[in-house]
Amino acid sequence: MTNTIEIQQLAYRPGRGFEIAGLDLRVPTGSIYGFLGPNGSGKTTTIRLVLGLLRPRAGRITVLGRAMPADAPYVLSRTGYVPEHPHLDPTLTVRETLRFQSAFYPLWDATWAEQLLETFGLDPARAFAKLSKGEKGKVMMLLALAQRPELLVLDEPTDGLDPVVRRDILAALLDYVSQHGATVFISSHLVHELERMCDWIGVMDNGRLVTELPIERFRNGIKRLQVTGAPSDLSTVPFSLLARSPNGGTAETWVVRGWEPDMRGYFATVGASLQGVDDLDLEDGYVELLRTFRAPRGERGG
Amino acid sequence: MFRVILYSLWKWSRLIILLGAVAAFVLPILSVQGASSDAVNPLTAGELLRSIQSWGVLYPVLAAALGLLVAIATWAPDHRGRHVHALSLPLPRWRYAMLRFGSGSLLLTAPMLALLLGAVLATRLAALPAGLQGYPIALALRFALAVAVAYAVFFAVSAGTSRTAGLVLASIGAVILVQVLATAAGTDLNLLGPLQNALLNWPGPLAIFTGRWMLIDV
Repeated sequence: MTNTIEIQQLAYRPGRGFEIAGLDLRVPTGSIYGFLGPNGSGKTTTIRLVLGLLRPRAGRITVLGRAMPADAPYVLSRTGYVPEHPHLDPTLTVRETLRFQSAFYPLWDATWAEQLLETFGLDPARAFAKLSKGEKGKVMMLLALAQRPELLVLDEPTDGLDPVVRRDILAALLDYVSQHGATVFISSHLVHELERMCDWIGVMDNGRLVTELPIERFRNGIKRLQVTGAPSDLSTVPFSLLARSPNGGTAETWVVRGWEPDMRGYFATVGASLQGVDDLDLEDGYVELLRTFRAPRGERGG
Repeated sequence: MFRVILYSLWKWSRLIILLGAVAAFVLPILSVQGASSDAVNPLTAGELLRSIQSWGVLYPVLAAALGLLVAIATWAPDHRGRHVHALSLPLPRWRYAMLRFGSGSLLLTAPMLALLLGAVLATRLAALPAGLQGYPIALALRFALAVAVAYAVFFAVSAGTSRTAGLVLASIGAVILVQVLATAAGTDLNLLGPLQNALLNWPGPLAIFTGRWMLIDV
């Protein structure tokens, strides 16, 4: 399997406080990679490093087989980018913005751009500054798609948009991906949205990648267990215990990763009893994962 | 690429360019008012030269103002978008900067040509006393050079971040502060004199702005 984006031992420090250190990340070619993380975790910074908008202190970034930021013009000509905030010239109309953008991209598809204008219901004579937030979001997605990119890098493209606009934007995105097999690297706060469309998930927190795995493994591997009579020594657990909280009496709730059904037998061997196993959806799994990651070492389970 | 960047800059700077062109056209004509062929009391050669000289102060001011305002307008859309869109375009940064610089330079040719036209027209309309001659082309070339220098300097300063601009201003402020303190303390330290010589005297980069700007001279 080849990777469209590959980051190795990336280091970046914009100032005091926050830093990205030793970041490794791989986005498989043809995948839709969801990049999750709370505000300030480093998602936007990582995206800007990937696109060569920022210069790393150390490490290696390869995008579409080319080193970044050295080969930025090549990579950017094949990458559609939707930034967190629309940073376009506010004086230009939608039509003028399209004309401006088309001059820079050799694969620009004017016919499809016109179709998207119609699909999104955008007024081409309206100044960009006078568009609503939703309309700006649509213009940004239109610009990214009409250049026929091999890679789409989307930084919270639907953040703050109403469900109808969100659906329009994501439908256009998925339509393009299904037809052209492009790779998508998308960051979002909307966990459920990513759950529906992504096949890989990476979770970032405080400048570090907490986990990176196929969404099926992420979804299936994280469970909430209801346990009674658990011993204090848990050195032999066959799974990864992310969190452990008392539930009254000897009952406890555990959040575990790497769970397999044949691990039920473990509880009998330590004199405990497993009362129930609950599936966690992506959002619950994400929250538990972050909570565990942030807890001091001694407080983590397992 | 150049055309779309030029169009974008035109939208940001058209008022500056139009007003600048009108001012550049009108200035030489106003400066020879007293020498018009139908004036009741035409100026003597000395009076005319003094009048031309006093109007001449406005040429470098107009050149500097045009250079400054167009340079700011050139980077305005990028500053406003925190350079994210510009940096995500698929071309080397130096080439993008050159496209921006070129578009501003091209738009500035409008006030340069307007001044040439105004200067030629003014010298044609004026009834010059004996011994005086018009220099419209020399004045227009000097104006064009001054606009280009001002534009290049302010373009370079505007190209940086607000931090860079702050550093430049802070350096100038520091030199002035040291000079004021040194003077107050009664020392012989003279920082501004050599600096002024280096910048404003030939071959200093700002020498073009100094001296007399005469449309009509001996």
